[in-house]
Amino acid sequence: NTWGRILTWGYSCSLREEEDPTRKGICYFYPEETPIDKQELLCGQLAGAGRCVSELSSSPVHVLRLRKNKFAIRMKDDFFWALSCSVDVPTASVCELLDHLISLFCFYNGSVRQSYQLYRQDTLAARWAQYLSHHQGSTDLHHIFSCMKTIDSTNVDPLLLLKAALILQACQRCPLVLAGCILFRGRVVSTQMSPALTMKVMVHESETFIKSLISYGAYCLSRAHSTPCKDSQPRKPRLSRTLSDTLSTDSDPSDPGSSQSPLKSPCSSCRSSSDNAFSPGNADQLLSSNSPLPNGKLEEHEDSFYHSFHTNGGDITDNSMNSLGLEANCINGGTEGYCRRMLDFRGAGETQASHDGSMRRKSDHMLPSSGTGSPDSQHNDSLMPMMLYLHRVKGLVLALLVEKHFLDDSASMEEVYHSSLAALNGLEAHLRSVSPGPPAAQGPYIFAHFDSIQSTLTSNLSGRPGVVHERPFVRATSLLHSHFCNTETLQEAIIRSAGAAVYGTRSVAQETYFLQHGGSVKNSGIPNHQDSAFSLPTKARHRLLKHGINLL
Amino acid sequence: SLLNVMTSKTSLLKVILLGDGGVGKSSIMNRYVTNKFDAHLFHTIGVEFLNKDLEVDGHQVTLQIWDTAGQERFRSLRTPFYRGSDCCLLTFSVDDNQSFLNLGNWKKEFIYYADVKEPEKFPFVVLGNKVDVTERQVSTEEAQQWCQENGDYPYYETSAKDATNVAVAFEEAVRRVLAMDERTDHLIPTDTVKLHRKPRSAATCCS
Repeated sequence: NTWGRILTWGYSCSLREEEDPTRKGICYFYPEETPIDKQELLCGQLAGAGRCVSELSSSPVHVLRLRKNKFAIRMKDDFFWALSCSVDVPTASVCELLDHLISLFCFYNGSVRQSYQLYRQDTLAARWAQYLSHHQGSTDLHHIFSCMKTIDSTNVDPLLLLKAALILQACQRCPLVLAGCILFRGRVVSTQMSPALTMKVMVHESETFIKSLISYGAYCLSRAHSTPCKDSQPRKPRLSRTLSDTLSTDSDPSDPGSSQSPLKSPCSSCRSSSDNAFSPGNADQLLSSNSPLPNGKLEEHEDSFYHSFHTNGGDITDNSMNSLGLEANCINGGTEGYCRRMLDFRGAGETQASHDGSMRRKSDHMLPSSGTGSPDSQHNDSLMPMMLYLHRVKGLVLALLVEKHFLDDSASMEEVYHSSLAALNGLEAHLRSVSPGPPAAQGPYIFAHFDSIQSTLTSNLSGRPGVVHERPFVRATSLLHSHFCNTETLQEAIIRSAGAAVYGTRSVAQETYFLQHGGSVKNSGIPNHQDSAFSLPTKARHRLLKHGINLL
Repeated sequence: SLLNVMTSKTSLLKVILLGDGGVGKSSIMNRYVTNKFDAHLFHTIGVEFLNKDLEVDGHQVTLQIWDTAGQERFRSLRTPFYRGSDCCLLTFSVDDNQSFLNLGNWKKEFIYYADVKEPEKFPFVVLGNKVDVTERQVSTEEAQQWCQENGDYPYYETSAKDATNVAVAFEEAVRRVLAMDERTDHLIPTDTVKLHRKPRSAATCCS
């Protein structure tokens, strides 16, 4: 496993005295089954080393390199994070992933300090685990470039991408809708958000996607503590196109707790379209096996996912909580079995008890101020409470970032729901019937193309872990990417072994890697004009044109 | 009881709206299901659908209404979804003669791609939409004549804009499908008993 450990470690103020054991400060350690004294040892050593180095060098530590491992390190206030990986993973990638994980955490939980005051540690540990687990499904290349997973558009009619974009656009006719994206089976079909933001929303979704074997069919409005999060990589331009460019930090709770209020959500079944209408060979048998009941109610076991439902958004003291967590009431008796629910999506994985605990603790700290994201003039931060609206049609999800009061505006909510329902049903049917096509004979070459503006990856790699001959390409790509990251002026490079050569080229906006199979590599050890490696750039240009990649 | 489960079972009927681009297929669907009218709808791309529960002559049905893109360039996207349709609503606009003349082509396209076994028995319903507009190009008589000559299809003049005849047309579509089913049921020599066809009283007395 490439990604060894993540440990996040915070000192809260009370734990700062020397005699406090380190273990009390460990907020989350992965793998969780690591013996506590080992956790303690590693955390203690890393924090010590990190602190020592940063004091000696008077600059923050970002990486600690050991013999076989390296750790991306982040220190902020009293908090300390480390993420380890083997040395052959590009340093830039591991740092990027750690930054991404931290900003994800803040995206859904608010500032780190505040969240550790408000929630129980095991609650937050479950969330760390959730964010981390999302990344373990990615392929190596996705790890290297920290990029979004997009649908494979080679077999998808471009008109369907247009359809998705138009659905998103239509949703924005409601002024409370800020931006959105459409995902299919955990991959982006269309997005209006910056890649960074899209990836944050996707974590939420892909978690539900995994659980969707239990819960699909519901569309729900989930409470997300959306904040434009700190961009931890200042060297990169901020790519946000639709959302606030406010520089934000995760430091301070000007963000009110009120946004912690549980969500109401319309929930209904999106009735499965008659399956006989489609070509067989539906890849997602599991998904279609568990369809909602025709009366618009979801099947009972759904509550194994939605642990916490509350009956009244915003009212923490409301005790009318349904212990089963299924509190649905139809609001318009409508034909869609349209009903409204309150739920706290983030409650997933928590026990009711711990959730209650955290709610209570929160109410101690936070007044239910009508909680706006208005930046406190005293604090230079701008956490902006937003909500995440999710409308699921089987494997298809419409995710919208909406203003907080969208939830209170049932007219807007119904409008968005009704105006997108038919099109989402249709888009799902279309995408589901797209046959994956023949397993695409790979041809005599392998390539990977990373668009750093859109954060997308195009490649003809199978992506399956077992494919042996692809390993050297991935390793070479990783190495070249590392070089590109470290050497800003580097534009082209060839990396070779006795039997193969990989060509890499990059511009401001993209990186491309290319390996030509077959043909003996004439490698004499000294520069030689007959050396086949030198023809790689030409071949790459020629071959990749048909993939829509222009290297000229 | 089992009998109860069977009687309360609603059947899913797939009806499909076909016709030239711009005749108002999406608007008809939206009017019927959400009772709303949006004059600024974009072209439908591919297919879309909505479900609607209704009761017709004591039968609980869920109508799955498939709306399709009328433009020629969307043909390859829409045709795979014709299969499995229980009824086809051929739609034209009374202010557009060409859309009326194309009805025959739509019927042909449907029969071909839906792979209808007995085209002459398949339930079609014809809708002349936009009767709210004043400048008609197709008269009621012309339309009725076409319907009569092509298989005695029911004809409704509708307006999605002011909700004229929309519900009536869909209910008629359901009736046609149910009538077809009854006929087929009688034709099948079988020992099986279709419990959900039993009258309601039969269920209540043994539960």
